[in-house]
Amino acid sequence: MIETKSEYTYVGKGYPRKDGVEKVTGTAVFTHDLVIQGMLHAKTLMSPYAYARIKSIDTEEAERIPGVRAVVTGKELNYKVGLYVLDKDILAKDYARYQGEPVAAVAADSELIAEEACSRIKVEWEVLDPVLDPREALEPGAPLVHPDLENYGYMKGVFSPRAKTNIPHHQKVRKGNVEEGFKKADLTVKNSFYNPPVQHVPIETHVSIAQAQPDGKAMIWTSAQSPYTVRNLFSVCFGIPHENIRVKVPYVGGGFGGKAGIHLEPLCYVLSKKSGGRPVKLAMTREEEFNTMPSRQGLYSEFKTGVTRDGKITALQVKYYWDAGAYADYGVNIGRAAAYSGAGPYEVDNCKIDSYVVYTNKVFGTAYRGFGHLELLWGVERNMDIIARKLGMDPVDFRMKNVLLPGAATITGEKITEHTGRVDKCLEAVAMEIKWSGCKSEEKRKEEKRAGKVRVRGKGIALLHKAPAMPSSTSTAVILKFNENGSLDLMTSLIDYGQGTYTALSQIAAEELKMPVEKINIPWDSDTSLTPYDWQTVASKGAFLSGNATIIAARDCIKQIKETASRVLRCSAEDLVCENERVYVRHKPDEYLEYKDLAYGYVYPNGNAIGGPIIGRGRYMAQGLTNLDPETGQGLPALNWTYGAHAIEIEVDIETGEIEILKIASSFDVGQVLNKDLMRGQIIGGVIQGLGSAVSEEFRFSKEGRFLNPTLVDYKILTSKDIPHEMTQHVVETSQEDGPYGARGVAEHPMLSVPSALGNALYDALGIDYFRLPLNSERVYFGIKSGKKEFHD
Amino acid sequence: MDITVKVNGIEYRENVPANMTLLQLLKDRLQLTGTKEGCGIGECGACTVIMDGKGVVSCLILAVEADRSEIRTIEGEARGEDLSEIQRAFIEYGGTQCGFCTPGMIMSARELLERNPNPSREEIAEAISGNLCRCTGYEPIIHAIEAVARKKG
Amino acid sequence: MIRPFTYVKPATMEEAFDALKADNSRPLAGGTDLLVDMRGGAMKPDLLVDIKGLDELNIFSVDSGRRDVKIGARITLNLLIDNKTIRDHCPAVAEAAFSIATYQLRNRATLVGNICNSSPAADMAPPLYVLDAQVVIASPSEDYGERTLPISEFMTGVKKNALKKGEMVIRVEIPELPRGKTAFMKKQRIKGHDLALVNLAGLADAEAGKLRICIGSCASTPLLLKGTDQLFKETKNTEKLAERAADLAVHSISPIDDVRSSGEYRKDMVKVFVKRLIHRICS
Ligand code: FES
Ligand code: FES
Repeated sequence: MIETKSEYTYVGKGYPRKDGVEKVTGTAVFTHDLVIQGMLHAKTLMSPYAYARIKSIDTEEAERIPGVRAVVTGKELNYKVGLYVLDKDILAKDYARYQGEPVAAVAADSELIAEEACSRIKVEWEVLDPVLDPREALEPGAPLVHPDLENYGYMKGVFSPRAKTNIPHHQKVRKGNVEEGFKKADLTVKNSFYNPPVQHVPIETHVSIAQAQPDGKAMIWTSAQSPYTVRNLFSVCFGIPHENIRVKVPYVGGGFGGKAGIHLEPLCYVLSKKSGGRPVKLAMTREEEFNTMPSRQGLYSEFKTGVTRDGKITALQVKYYWDAGAYADYGVNIGRAAAYSGAGPYEVDNCKIDSYVVYTNKVFGTAYRGFGHLELLWGVERNMDIIARKLGMDPVDFRMKNVLLPGAATITGEKITEHTGRVDKCLEAVAMEIKWSGCKSEEKRKEEKRAGKVRVRGKGIALLHKAPAMPSSTSTAVILKFNENGSLDLMTSLIDYGQGTYTALSQIAAEELKMPVEKINIPWDSDTSLTPYDWQTVASKGAFLSGNATIIAARDCIKQIKETASRVLRCSAEDLVCENERVYVRHKPDEYLEYKDLAYGYVYPNGNAIGGPIIGRGRYMAQGLTNLDPETGQGLPALNWTYGAHAIEIEVDIETGEIEILKIASSFDVGQVLNKDLMRGQIIGGVIQGLGSAVSEEFRFSKEGRFLNPTLVDYKILTSKDIPHEMTQHVVETSQEDGPYGARGVAEHPMLSVPSALGNALYDALGIDYFRLPLNSERVYFGIKSGKKEFHD
Repeated sequence: MDITVKVNGIEYRENVPANMTLLQLLKDRLQLTGTKEGCGIGECGACTVIMDGKGVVSCLILAVEADRSEIRTIEGEARGEDLSEIQRAFIEYGGTQCGFCTPGMIMSARELLERNPNPSREEIAEAISGNLCRCTGYEPIIHAIEAVARKKG
Repeated sequence: MIRPFTYVKPATMEEAFDALKADNSRPLAGGTDLLVDMRGGAMKPDLLVDIKGLDELNIFSVDSGRRDVKIGARITLNLLIDNKTIRDHCPAVAEAAFSIATYQLRNRATLVGNICNSSPAADMAPPLYVLDAQVVIASPSEDYGERTLPISEFMTGVKKNALKKGEMVIRVEIPELPRGKTAFMKKQRIKGHDLALVNLAGLADAEAGKLRICIGSCASTPLLLKGTDQLFKETKNTEKLAERAADLAVHSISPIDDVRSSGEYRKDMVKVFVKRLIHRICS
């Protein structure tokens, strides 16, 4: 149960999700379920090699198969796609840069024919040596994944691709003077960490349908998080004006960042064009999803930290090496966000961070719930525990000494105020919840060993923070339109693929308009020709931005209601109040008009009418954000910070390395709970996804760069049997001044630092530091077997 | 090949190719799109339906194998607008988020409660462990099923 | 996508064998392995012979008086798990069945299918090895008639078995319900459905002085440890027995590295699990 101090009528309450009935009855329609008249089915041919030159492609035989309507290869497609760096072709052109990259595609009457045709396409390859480790890719003489990097377009002022290197972006943060800081330190600690690439695994794989219409317009139906971004990137790619592109998004079966950018839409479109304008559907099988669609980047991180004896951090130097894979996609922006978040939720006066995004010949990385923060916090929060131990301090006390509190400044110079959120309170809450009473002593561990204990327990804590990583000009809009019975349609292009944002937005609208949540309808399918602009559904910014836009739109409605009502009730609009779907003069509640009397304009008994349909418009733009200084990283990148903490209690079987998760306690400063039940759902879901990263998930590659586990048989996400015995959720509500009702986003955060807390608990249990994820039983076991206190494999 | 199947009480006579799966029959032919595909190889449970009283994954059954069988899918779970107890509990306890796993999950829950009206938490976890959900973290689903069992018991 | 093929569902054994004479034909029971292979293109049969119409294969007799068990090729894993005599007298069989895949798949997957797939990690194999199960193979009568092979001779290599063209396993027999204790154990990556990194079964019958341990996933076929009876007789202390059996096991296997586990981890886990198994069946 989540306790909120909310005193509102609707906001904060646990309304059931508005899409519930459609989802439990199977009537919710997803892109996978869509059939468009005349639709063809597409398949792609994937590169079997991590890096290879395409000497020739012969499609003749494939084209001759009955039922094949179009075959395309990269050669004929002169388009570049990319979010921030235009580095990707729709199909590989001269080089395939990762195993699984599509090199040719077929549209046919059935999926089976398309698949058959793909198998008949003959590609002559020249296999090249791939570069697979981002640190090796930085070395002079390393093979270049993009020899033409300097010729690519990119977002200027924000990113900085470096010619003749594998670096599409290098983000620096410089604050104070680290050399001086290290001089002041009594102790300097160095640690390095690693996270493997993983995948989102939405249960609905990627799928798109596109149609090139004879009038030059493009119709797109797609399982995507960001219809307007799809439209814009599509427009940039093909040069089609925006108004001629229509992107429709029905229900989306999970995204987690993996469906944030543009993916299969352009390929469907070129196939449609080539097949004479038939709609073309391309749905990834699970294997294709793993092989072809983007992953979460791998990360190597190196920390050097200076601390005083009494536990104050004097200097922090960090290097992040992001394994971007073959294309920059969101990866460059993750590298940027990781730099400004890269010190964790701590006050560090002297800080130097270098975050390198590095191309390799692996499947490319993209946004994944947390946008780099789970990965960087694996290092930050393990590092904190290790330092505390070296200082002989309790890790909770050590953190308390360094956390960002009102009055402090972040490493990019942003001031922390009374309204920013309190990570210390989250820490306190979770420590109390798992009855933290300090680390297990070395003595105790020895005693357990002597007693021959097979199962040993441990507890661990980790903090987290994240702000939306988005352009300084991020904006959104909401339209509220009244219906004749006084009900309301809320129109937005923010996508609710399960987070519950739509339900929260209707609570906000209900609160503002003083009408029941049930009377607010949100159509689930967004359509760029009908629903108003939203930048993207990412970054935990939905409730914040769209919530604010909803408030503004609702107030716009109220203004219109009062305006008409003031004429009918012959009073000034200022004297009117809205309550219970009615509007009346403050002191005469019995003489009222109902919203429905005004929804489409008021009609007098004699037939005269005034007003007209009530339509509220709300727009909201992130305020005051700036680009970061390219040399120092100073600036204001963060709309708001959401802080949190997890505490974990585990039991480890020291003979097998298996971890039993007894309890996970979580706390977040959410500013204000909008819907306590749906928030709880977000937290539990996120925690379990984080636990998957902690104990199981990873891409494995052969030394040639072949992806070894691209199926759910060998890429294991957690099941209902793998969840902790107990999970608790707690919130702090330090009102965010500019948030809707003081709220801030918390969609990604539950996933962050779950691995870190587990790693810390493992040390507590075993007295062994682990530096790599995942902490599967084999790794844990070999750590124990090694007899070492530090296990780097 | 000619087959006759009863789906949610309605009899269908269909001529199907041997390589059509039961999932394809339901989704593509009969346009019962509630049942989902998440992997096609039996790993995710999104395609779970009840066949002759037993929970099965329809992606690994041929349509011809379903000849003369009785199938229940998510479309047959509610009586018109009257949601089943399980459906209501899924909404109330947060058992659905994106909703893609939900039809299969509810079919597994339905079949479990029919063969074991009073399952323990472990039995519930076991029964739905073949249904992967990436959104909910499972606990709310377990709670929903427990609540239905409690009400019945 | 599954490529086109022909499907027949014979009503009699004769028809079935007739059909199986065709080139590139395959019997279809639960289909839970076969259809996955066909979808992935690893298997491209032209003809599937659905054996689920054959009553002869539907036998499931568990005779606690005569103490023998017959499990027909149509018997699903869930039927095995639900059978009280199996659970009481051969828990290893029920536990192995329960460890396989998911509930939904166990409603289709059969014990016979599991061993015919002949994966070295087949979970049903170790219990069948320790119980001396016999595999009954039938074929068009002029050529072979019916023949019976011990499970250990049936499984011959990775995805290989003693079945010849046109033959079919019709049932598995456990000649005698064990009088001692049996157990099955499996090391997997997560608690949810997974293939075995290591799986093993044991049988201990103190009266008969019999100890049998079979380890799967550590060689091209499951491996029945040799010399365990002797060990059992010599070693009265369970702790010691566990140690010695574990050593014996580790020296008998040569597991490989693959995507699921390193060989070394498999080896070490065999050691741990054999000990745990001995404690379960010998105390
Ligand atoms: S689609 Fe059938 S189990 Fe995944
Ligand atoms: S609700 Fe999204 S996969 Fe279960």
